[in-house]
Amino acid sequence: MFFRILKKDLQRKRAMNVILLLFIIMAAMFLSSSASNLVTVFGAVEHFFELSNVPDYIIISLAEGRDDPVAEFLDENKWVTEYQTVDMFNLTSDQIEIKSRAALADKHEYEKTSTLAICPIPEKFLKVFDEEQQPLVLKDGEIALARVEAERNHLAAGDVLSVQVGDVTQEFTVKTIVKDATFGTTMMGFKRLYITEHDFLKFAEQKTAVITRLHSVNYSDAAAFGSAYRQMQFPVISNVDREMLRMTYVMDMLMTVVLIVVSICLILVAFLVLRFMIVFTLQEDYREIGVMKAIGISDGGIKGVYLVKYLVLSVVGALIGFLLSFPFGDMLLRQTVVNIVTEYTEQNVVINLGCAAVVVLVVVLFCYGSTNRLKKISVMEAIRNGSNGERYHAKSRISLHGRKKMKPYVYMACNDITGNLRRFLLLLVIFFIGTQMILLPLSAVNTLKSEELIWSFSLMPSDAYLTSGNEELYVLKGGDVRLRDDLEEIKEALGARGYTASAWAEVGYTIPVYANDPDELYNYYSICRIGDTPKEDYQIIEGRTPQLADEVMLTEKTAEEMGVTIGDCVYYKLPEGDEAFVITGIYQSMINMGDGLRLSSEADLGENTMSGIFSTQIEVEELEAEETCEVLEEIYPESKIRGAKDFMKDMLGNIADQLNVLQFFIVVLVLLINSLITALMMKTFAAKERGEIAMLKSIGFADRTIRGWQTVRILLILAAAIAIGAAASRLLIPVAIAPIFAMMGGTHMKLITEPLQAYVLYPALLLFATGVVAYLGTGEVRRVDCKEINNME
Amino acid sequence: MRTLTVKDLCKTYVVNKRQNNVLKNINMEIHEGEMVAVMGPSGSGKSTLLYTVSGMDTATAGSIDFFGKDLSRLKAKEMSEVRLNEMGFVFQQMHMLKNLTIYDNIILPAYQAAGGRGRSNRAKINEQARALMHKLQISEIAENGTNEVSGGQLQRACICRSLINHPKMLFADEPTGALNQQNSREVMHELNRINAEGTTILLVTHDVKVAAKSDRVLYIEDGSIKGEFTLGKFVSGTDTKDRERKLSNWLMEMGW
Repeated sequence: MFFRILKKDLQRKRAMNVILLLFIIMAAMFLSSSASNLVTVFGAVEHFFELSNVPDYIIISLAEGRDDPVAEFLDENKWVTEYQTVDMFNLTSDQIEIKSRAALADKHEYEKTSTLAICPIPEKFLKVFDEEQQPLVLKDGEIALARVEAERNHLAAGDVLSVQVGDVTQEFTVKTIVKDATFGTTMMGFKRLYITEHDFLKFAEQKTAVITRLHSVNYSDAAAFGSAYRQMQFPVISNVDREMLRMTYVMDMLMTVVLIVVSICLILVAFLVLRFMIVFTLQEDYREIGVMKAIGISDGGIKGVYLVKYLVLSVVGALIGFLLSFPFGDMLLRQTVVNIVTEYTEQNVVINLGCAAVVVLVVVLFCYGSTNRLKKISVMEAIRNGSNGERYHAKSRISLHGRKKMKPYVYMACNDITGNLRRFLLLLVIFFIGTQMILLPLSAVNTLKSEELIWSFSLMPSDAYLTSGNEELYVLKGGDVRLRDDLEEIKEALGARGYTASAWAEVGYTIPVYANDPDELYNYYSICRIGDTPKEDYQIIEGRTPQLADEVMLTEKTAEEMGVTIGDCVYYKLPEGDEAFVITGIYQSMINMGDGLRLSSEADLGENTMSGIFSTQIEVEELEAEETCEVLEEIYPESKIRGAKDFMKDMLGNIADQLNVLQFFIVVLVLLINSLITALMMKTFAAKERGEIAMLKSIGFADRTIRGWQTVRILLILAAAIAIGAAASRLLIPVAIAPIFAMMGGTHMKLITEPLQAYVLYPALLLFATGVVAYLGTGEVRRVDCKEINNME
Repeated sequence: MRTLTVKDLCKTYVVNKRQNNVLKNINMEIHEGEMVAVMGPSGSGKSTLLYTVSGMDTATAGSIDFFGKDLSRLKAKEMSEVRLNEMGFVFQQMHMLKNLTIYDNIILPAYQAAGGRGRSNRAKINEQARALMHKLQISEIAENGTNEVSGGQLQRACICRSLINHPKMLFADEPTGALNQQNSREVMHELNRINAEGTTILLVTHDVKVAAKSDRVLYIEDGSIKGEFTLGKFVSGTDTKDRERKLSNWLMEMGW
């Protein structure tokens, strides 16, 4: 008897049971994959560092001659437990040529994203992995490159590059994109091309080549080693410790934070819907429950029928959800965390299994809780579908006769919502969550794509940005003189065409600096402008920009770390002796994760060699930005000329594109969730409102009008959720997104939300897609017969 | 003039491959201004006949001519138009949208019929609705909820709603079935008055007192019309006892 009732129930309510099963599958899949991904991404960077064998400290310097003072220091320093030195050949754009590629077949110029070097596959430290997350393996004649480099040059496996070092030129076929723990992130301005040891040796004897030396160091005492190292004042390009390296993953963490937000939303949605479904399916059965009670089946027996039903459904659903959680979670991870090697381990299987079990437990508990009500209701109440005969119900808050133009079906929709908002609360909450899922990441995308972002890098905007591809030459000894000459040459070339131009470049120095204690040295990046600008226009938080040769401004983070403020002095350890600089201002900068100082353009840093250069910037008085770019392209056809937006895009690498992909993925997900919940609600409304529909039909309302009434109701809820969501996002964005930029140094970021995208395009897309699903979901209206008016409660 | 002409009307339900002929070759005519009652035992097909001839249910065979339109051939949208503009319905249970006021329930079909014809049209509808409510003596409940009025008031409100679009014919399914005697009398009084003003009415009832106030009574049994009894025009306010007696006798003859 018991199982016959169960079997009949499963057969008779096939549609609702299938929908319930679908939501159990989704809940199990979302919960398992999200929880699993949370655990994976939280430990992902550390796990990746372990796999790659990232050392405690990395020193990048230019090898000049055979002497290697850094290696000598490392040999003698007692805190160093082990180190390895690897030489790489620096490459200018001229040294690489694209021989053949599937995309853009007619163009052969290679466009670098940052300082580029070619090296053999690392074997001990700083190991790299292929796209399949396996240790990189190449054959002779094959090459692997970083994702940003490949994407910038539209390179894919099978394309051919030619690389020239000194007099030797070799051709390589692109094998794969690499995941590089050390230099893979977009924030690292240094990228490597990987070839086999054998191919590398063919280049190795070239004496004319510029060699970058990479020292990987492990030590026993970080503080002691750091102090001794900084006292040596080696003229290096860069040095980073593991902590700093971890910080370069902040952009990737932005993606993981978005993923975490999305996952939490998905879990929330899944459980909300599940609870609703269980309560609804049980309510639908009230009449049957009443009959069962009336014929003497005990409450326990009735409960048993439903508990077994939901147990069977939840076990089947959770099992399918558990199996689907692996490909789904992996897809989520791969879409978001592209630079990190992430892998599922036995731990993830346990987590996923645990989550699936939680779903089963929650479903059964929901069911138990809902069936508990059975004890309290009488037979008649159950037969009356849970109604106890109380006739009271809320009267309309708005009147039809007060509306001069509103169509009756629109009025009915408004009236339904205002009369019983609780009924639509689930829909409102889920639509609200969906809106946040779209608007929060959108703010990050819009901010990253905005021209305003340049201020956050402590740079001045300009009409044009020129990169010749030979910027490595400026970091050699005498590079500053060469840079000044090149800037003058640009001005002269433009002057010859009758234009008044300004040309400048922001350059960086890695010079030890201290505040009060000369032994407490900091290795911050100091930026200084070379060349002239029409006006000085840096964004500062407090004070003013440094004007005199002995003035400096600090980022908020650096000032805090050094314990100084405006009016104090910091001291640079210059070859000629320590020199004091007065702090005139505090600024924000996303360069080096918010660490840094900016010197006046008048500053004299003596014999120090610059360690990096941003693009050369040009302003022409007589021309607009676009025209300036055009003229420069004519004069320097070999160079890369960009406007501000493209320059920022290059600086950030593929993170904005990655976020775009994620944004697209989230929008699809939100549309899917909205569609599912809409379809579900339409089904439940149709089941509950058959009487009303029949009555409206009987008094002459056409099917189309009735369907319009039901669709408008959903759209009004969605519109309200979007409006509330948009207003709430103004509060949530500073809480959810601003801290991520603050971690990167953008402590006073102006977060941008494109109004057209956020408040017009996406809402329109949501309204359209949900509207279509809602209208299709009202198809049941056509099947309602006027005679069903007698079912009206 | 004929309002409704039904020819060879059949209605068959198929349940579990078993055929159930609910209406068998029904032929009948309703003339303009007439008030016709359909009577018969439970399960005889009275309500099915009402729903089928009013286009609320589809016929299996036969034709239903309603003011020159064959309802069995109309598309769903055209049928809705007919129901909205040319027919009125009153049911045993006073079905109204629960979260609308009585007044809004009454004007709803009129606003729907008026479409986007604007402000002046709606003002006219409001005027008509108020006049109708006044006539049916329910003006004071206009702003009440459907749960704040008595059954009789609610049924009169339903009658108001059914009349708001000036239907050519009113269909009533046991309009007094859920009312007490007092309310029942009031509702029938209104129906008679509406009929006297020219609206054709076809009603289903098993109450002799109600049927006695109609012009003609059709007796249906096992899906077929077994007989017809003409009572003649009822004059409102006159005694019905004689009509009731004659009707009862006839019904007894029919086997009721």
